[in-house]
Amino acid sequence: MGLFTNKFQDNIIVEKLDKLLSWGRSTSPWFFQFGTACCAIEMMAAAASRHDLKRIGMIPRSSPRQADVMIVAGTVTMKMAIRVKKLYEQMADPKYVVAMGSCATSGGPYWQHGYHVLKGVDLVIPVDVYVPGCPPRPESLIEGLLKLQEQILEERPLTRKMA
Amino acid sequence: MTENQQKLIDELVNKGLDGDMDAVNAHQDRMVRAKAKSMIMKIQKGILKRPPLKKISPEEVPNGDIVQNQEKKENKQESTSAKVVRKLLEKFPNEIENEEFDSHIQLKPDKWFEIATWLKSEPELFFDSLQCQMGIDVQDDILESRYNLHSMKHNHYVELRIAVSRSNAKIPSVEKIWRVADWFERETYDMLGIEYIGHSDLRRILLPDDWEGWPLRKDYQEQETYHGIIVPKMKEGWE
Amino acid sequence: MGVVHGEEMVLNIGPQHPATHGVLRLQVRTDGEVVSKITPYMGYLHRCFEKHCENVTYEQVIPFTDRCDYLASMSMNFGYVVAMERLMDIKVNERVEYIRIIMAELQRIASHLLCTGVFGLDLGAFTPFLWALRDRERILDLFELTCGARLLYNYMWVGGLSHDLPVGFVESTFKFLDYFEPKIDELENILAHNKILVERSADIGVMPKDIAISYGVTGPNLRASGVKWDLRKDDPYSIYDRFEFDVPIGQGLKGTVGDCWDRFYVRILEIRESVKIVRQALASIPKDGDVHQSLPKKIRPPKGSVYARTETPRGDLGYYIESDGSPIPYRLKMRSPAFTALSVLDEIGGGWLLSDVLAILGSLDIVLGEIDR
Repeated sequence: MGLFTNKFQDNIIVEKLDKLLSWGRSTSPWFFQFGTACCAIEMMAAAASRHDLKRIGMIPRSSPRQADVMIVAGTVTMKMAIRVKKLYEQMADPKYVVAMGSCATSGGPYWQHGYHVLKGVDLVIPVDVYVPGCPPRPESLIEGLLKLQEQILEERPLTRKMA
Repeated sequence: MTENQQKLIDELVNKGLDGDMDAVNAHQDRMVRAKAKSMIMKIQKGILKRPPLKKISPEEVPNGDIVQNQEKKENKQESTSAKVVRKLLEKFPNEIENEEFDSHIQLKPDKWFEIATWLKSEPELFFDSLQCQMGIDVQDDILESRYNLHSMKHNHYVELRIAVSRSNAKIPSVEKIWRVADWFERETYDMLGIEYIGHSDLRRILLPDDWEGWPLRKDYQEQETYHGIIVPKMKEGWE
Repeated sequence: MGVVHGEEMVLNIGPQHPATHGVLRLQVRTDGEVVSKITPYMGYLHRCFEKHCENVTYEQVIPFTDRCDYLASMSMNFGYVVAMERLMDIKVNERVEYIRIIMAELQRIASHLLCTGVFGLDLGAFTPFLWALRDRERILDLFELTCGARLLYNYMWVGGLSHDLPVGFVESTFKFLDYFEPKIDELENILAHNKILVERSADIGVMPKDIAISYGVTGPNLRASGVKWDLRKDDPYSIYDRFEFDVPIGQGLKGTVGDCWDRFYVRILEIRESVKIVRQALASIPKDGDVHQSLPKKIRPPKGSVYARTETPRGDLGYYIESDGSPIPYRLKMRSPAFTALSVLDEIGGGWLLSDVLAILGSLDIVLGEIDR
């Protein structure tokens, strides 16, 4: 896709192709289960049988090279931050990041005296959707992922961007 | 002052020292209140000693009040500590540093390895499991390493403490006696900087290897950045 | 024909790996497929719990203890509260004690369910994982009914509880227990006596008694090696001495005593014992009593220190609290059972194949939040 991204002029054929591509991308994003702490258990519970994540198209993948969305669930520490960056760079474009829980958003309950805690994962990688909560309920996570799907649906990958 | 009044003042002083100042303030007699408060202040400054606790019978205790009757627990703990101290004084004289043994035994660091070997193998004591080992930063430039030992055979406990100064924080390692001490000592080294002589692999366990400083010391300052990432909390709009 | 020895290869497992144990890095030295040395590296989840405890008040420590072992938060709260009440000499009333035991045992069932489900998942069985999580959700529903939270409760306070049992809790719990008992048999049949699981875990990772005691291993791991040591019976705290229950130990039914299968099976047996305790407690819980009766107005413990241990689903949890008379702790140390359980991995993991290492790690039931604190 790198050859065709944002290369074409805006006309009716390109617009329809854009819509098709965005629809395909948004309805089956496979997520990279990067669970660190307590929020990982809620992510697992969201993927289990009561609140099912597969019905919105998301399947857990354990390798970053096979995933589209990275759900950062749990506290990220300084020791881990370097590896998070590496994992993010290993994902193939187009990639999205969801920061789940208050620890990944801004350091969580450890923001004040935690010398080893990264105050928000957006200090190392760009984030698309923030899901607050400590831990967020599986229903909140599903709402965050549906918002991400709406965001992906509005993208126009083929159209040339205006200057 | 009558004996009853003195007893009343002692009781109020004990209640106040344990956190219940409302009992002192609620008393009607102004003289008793004033004497109790001045005694509390002198005890907190260290000029006076705390008066002995009054024995309370079980029917008198309402639920939730702070009970002062600790004799039963102290008796049980004292006998184990006292037994250990008696045997220690026979085998290793001059190693004990404190005088009251109801809660812990204070040792000197030099012969700690020999004492620990003896504690594990002596048949009447037989402390075969080290439950908890931790370090603590006591004020005035002293670091302490505390050991909670437990015997599975006799089901008794004892607590030992070893104090060293900050500039020369070296204690013999007991890794070869209780294998669990391996990681416990690494963690104490990581957090407080106490070095354990004879440890096979003393390096940081929880923090990254290139971290600066000993976090659990009371005068620890966080470093500004770590590999380019900001460490302390960012101040705009978060307070 | 001799044995071919190649060069030693260093392999990295983690810090991010698909098993749910968390962020742990294992550096494994292998000769072909046979492992010769395992070195665990941790600290990827070090959240400075002990430094936080030196800066917040005693009540504010309780939510932090929740987040250490997030699979058994009630038990972590319980341990802290037992230690504080021993330090301050507070006695709580009967209703509070019964409710605490009920919550702790329900939490033990939930934690063991997750552990057995995940052990199956590590070895490739996906269905028992979904069954275990489905039953665990019903326990979380009961907790949500009481205190409003699904995972991290902040429920047990020093001197009492945060909320009383709601109307209908006792009936719901009885209904749940009646529904759940046949499910334990189902789970046991599909997992414990499954030929593939038995092949992959029997006789593997044997931990002898003396190594277990010397390395400080406690809880189900120690009991699976044949040592009958349970803090609820041998050093009872709260009102555990009023209940009748057995302490299951490993007997080597499918292989040697102390192998992975034993550690896994002991947990299933413990779920049954916990169900017994909850039934007894629900039958004799006192009907009246205020859970907020003994809450102290201000927590200012006397100067001194205390070390108290309680039995969590993973082993002996110890809290060493040193107080200097102010409302903020001077030093608080948590002795976590999973820390010592992980230290024995190198001792029992040498000489097995690479896939056996993951089976051994899964049977030890570690939670990284507790190890790194």
